[in-house]
Amino acid sequence: MDITGFLASLESSNLATGIRDSFYVFPLIESLHVLGLTMVFGTMLIVDLRLLGIASIRRPFTRITSDIMKWTWASFIWTAATGVLMFITNASVYYHNFFFRTKIVLLALAGINVLIFELTSGRTVHRWHKDASAPLAGRTAAILSLVLWITIIVMGRWIGFTTSQSKAPLDRDINLDDLFTPPANDSGTPK
Amino acid sequence: MIRQFAEWLSQTSLSILIQTHNAWVIPTIQSIHIIAIGVVLTSVLMIDLRILGWAGHDQTLRETTDRFGPWLSWALLVLLVTGISMVIGEPVRALLSFSFWLKMFLVAVGTLIAAILQITLKSNEHHWEQTLVNRRSVRSLAILTLLIWVGIVILGRLIAYDYVWGSWSLKPTA
Repeated sequence: MDITGFLASLESSNLATGIRDSFYVFPLIESLHVLGLTMVFGTMLIVDLRLLGIASIRRPFTRITSDIMKWTWASFIWTAATGVLMFITNASVYYHNFFFRTKIVLLALAGINVLIFELTSGRTVHRWHKDASAPLAGRTAAILSLVLWITIIVMGRWIGFTTSQSKAPLDRDINLDDLFTPPANDSGTPK
Repeated sequence: MIRQFAEWLSQTSLSILIQTHNAWVIPTIQSIHIIAIGVVLTSVLMIDLRILGWAGHDQTLRETTDRFGPWLSWALLVLLVTGISMVIGEPVRALLSFSFWLKMFLVAVGTLIAAILQITLKSNEHHWEQTLVNRRSVRSLAILTLLIWVGIVILGRLIAYDYVWGSWSLKPTA
């Protein structure tokens, strides 16, 4: 199956159709996605600021990560899952969207960044975890992480403004104008 | 009356300035707003986890609030400034939305709880560290506070979809 067929089959799946057919489910999924990503970013920020020696410097690095990383991972899985659910409702549009593509590439880079950190400063963590800041490789990873996550959030917001959300309400037989009229300055699709 | 105010606000020069550049101004402000929410939410999380005893055992509650309190306050200020900018830029979208007003109510409650914690902790440090953190009522309040901020984040996004509230929404209906 080629990519176009695959995206179309995602869009026509029962799950995607069910989400599109509801007035409430997509907004709820998007809200839960935002909840998850704010948690991912906020917890990563605490870890990155510790690596840079800017905050929590009196606590050993390993203490911070044992408190926090479980929340980061849980939030990441939560955010990825809600992201996939949003993606399948309009897969071919998202797939061709510049900001969506950039976001996926940046997410991959963020993953590689974590991997490199684990293979460099992460390996010697017992030697520096009580120091005020991490070795150069660790500090570099922290800055890259911050730049990547902030850009990922910005890209995500731009996806919402550049994809026409052809969700269920618009596909229904009923006339939307009978239900509500969007504000004049609105393009008709919620952002 | 709110509708008239929203319409008046949308005609002000500042609002028109934002509307004219809204292709990039609005998403930029929203992005900053979301980043600041991340700081607020995780700051509240870390303080509440400390109260609940689920994280930060090696620190006193005072040390924990000294670490996260200032970030919480500054991020709330950023949220206020970016939030007001969004209201000015899109008054009808925000001010006629049920999610917006419910969110504002929860923000007031959440901020009040955070302020009370900061103030009473500074004046009764010993009592807080030894007794209060173990009280069921205080622990329940920590969980409630976290849920309030979770609700705030969800309602913030739902402002874009106010039709989910049906007739509760103040937005014009046909």
